[in-house]
Amino acid sequence: MSYALSTLWYERQRYLPAVLAVAFSCLLIAMQCGLLIGLFSITSIPIDESSADIWVGHPDVPSVDLGIPIPEGWQSYLALPEVERSEPYMEGFAYWKKSSGGMELVLVIGTRLGPDSIGAIKQLTPELRTRLSEPNAVVVDEGEFGRLGLKKVGDTAEILGKRVRVVGTVRGLRSLAGPYLFCSLDTARNVLRPPPGQCTFILAKCHNKEDAPKVVEKLKVYNKKLLPFTTEEFSMHSQLHWLFKTKAGIALGLAAALGLLVGAVVTSTTLHSATSASLKEYAVLRALGIPRWRMSMMVVSQSFWVGIGGIAAAMPVIYGIAYAGDLIGAKVLLPPWLLLGACVVTMTMAMLSGLMALRSLRMVEPVTLLR
Amino acid sequence: MQMDARTTTSTMKACGVTRSFGSGDTKIYAIRNVSLELHPGQIALLMGPSGSGKSTLLAVLSGLLHPDSGNVLAHDQDLWAMTERQREAFRLQHFGFIFQGYNLFAALTAREQMEMILRWGNGASAKEAREKTDDMLGMLGLTNRAHLRPLQMSGGEKQRVAIGRALIKQPGFVFADEPTSALDWKHGQHVIELLRAAAHDQGSTILVVAHDSRIVPFVDRVLQLEDGILFEGSEKPVEMFGDNPVQTSF
Repeated sequence: MSYALSTLWYERQRYLPAVLAVAFSCLLIAMQCGLLIGLFSITSIPIDESSADIWVGHPDVPSVDLGIPIPEGWQSYLALPEVERSEPYMEGFAYWKKSSGGMELVLVIGTRLGPDSIGAIKQLTPELRTRLSEPNAVVVDEGEFGRLGLKKVGDTAEILGKRVRVVGTVRGLRSLAGPYLFCSLDTARNVLRPPPGQCTFILAKCHNKEDAPKVVEKLKVYNKKLLPFTTEEFSMHSQLHWLFKTKAGIALGLAAALGLLVGAVVTSTTLHSATSASLKEYAVLRALGIPRWRMSMMVVSQSFWVGIGGIAAAMPVIYGIAYAGDLIGAKVLLPPWLLLGACVVTMTMAMLSGLMALRSLRMVEPVTLLR
Repeated sequence: MQMDARTTTSTMKACGVTRSFGSGDTKIYAIRNVSLELHPGQIALLMGPSGSGKSTLLAVLSGLLHPDSGNVLAHDQDLWAMTERQREAFRLQHFGFIFQGYNLFAALTAREQMEMILRWGNGASAKEAREKTDDMLGMLGLTNRAHLRPLQMSGGEKQRVAIGRALIKQPGFVFADEPTSALDWKHGQHVIELLRAAAHDQGSTILVVAHDSRIVPFVDRVLQLEDGILFEGSEKPVEMFGDNPVQTSF
């Protein structure tokens, strides 16, 4: 075992605050990012739950829920050998007038309903699709009943003077802004009243999903007229839009920076005081001619092990909190790249703290040992 | 390595060394115009009352404190004409130190305290450091205590580890500042015998600063410092120092 590690283990009480500070920083960064990704993944539900390989929208479209009308005739651009079929997608915000009074902003999503529909979300069972084929029929998430003033399936409400009826429910599709209202293209057109021949997106399915990037490349020649995405790209595009628009990215950055700052200060102070407590021992080494860099390496090694210890302590807690969050409905996404990123940032912070603590070694002066 | 304890080859020579502290009216001379020679294979004792400048002289001779004037030659090299880095490298190669406190790393075992010097200082391999440390632990009678940390050791054992740390790299010069002051006489005697063995068996040049006059019979030479001025006693003085230190004849 290295001298740094031996010291860390033997004097673990002394180093514990630093380890906990690193763990706290790692936890904060991972949870903040995980929560945020979880939160904003909701904004791309209509994309992620569809069967589309390609989304084509207006060049200025910022996000899936903020679609801008485009001509349905643009389907002709998708008449490419790689594309199996395409279809229009209708979406827009509208006010839902509750039967009990009061309004609620909702996001109406109209798609084809056939078994080969590209835009319909996968949660719409054949039975629900049959029911949705009735005029002005909608499906909502069962968790949105309260918000929409509904008591049971079959209840009605009004959108822009049109009476709509809830014919079924889905689960796990609650939205960030207005509740999603899934319906047929005709119903969507009926309540949203777009200009004739307009839709919001054109969706396409390829013979081979792997061809999607190639098709998007081909469509980019019309870049000034339309904006093509693969499903994955559009999902990310929508999430990033909300991340920046809501300034949540800034809040995330600030919270993470604060966590890092607290971690850095505590780690650096702990290492500094631990090094200061051994100044006489280091002074003996200096008298004996041991180069200063050896001692610096010892302090930096300690900061490395403090970092490793902190991350090791943080990981089970991160997973525990994510699991608990899931139980109460707070979605925390922890993809490997996020955890790796949190570890890298935290380790960097720990190592920098070690470098900051090196200033204590400047006080090492062997002559002070001679009294 | 067996050396003649009475060899006259000079390995350390200080000429006209002066060191003061403060300035103007508050300037105090800790040592004045001190010249001396230390010989290999000899253990020399530097005595004197508190504040006489013993530690200052030790610091100047060992390359830890810059003198105001004068020079210190070790192996014919002027310590104070070297750069800081050169002096550090010289100390690494030739000097060993034993300080008043044990100054051992609390987290490290007796073995690690010594191995560290070889590994960090000489770049020794783990195996090489272990073997040399085993020899040193044996010589110090600490083989069975190698795994203990300072908190688990007696004062005598800790001081022996500190001595082992100073001697492990087989330095040509060893400087010891009050190495027995924190020990009872039984352990103090053991410590001074170890230093004497290092001088006589390994040919090291050893300078011990101490108050304790019971050490005198164990050393080859006594140096007396008073008010920063060095008086050299005869080799092997027989007079003991009482409450009023007596300068030995020249």
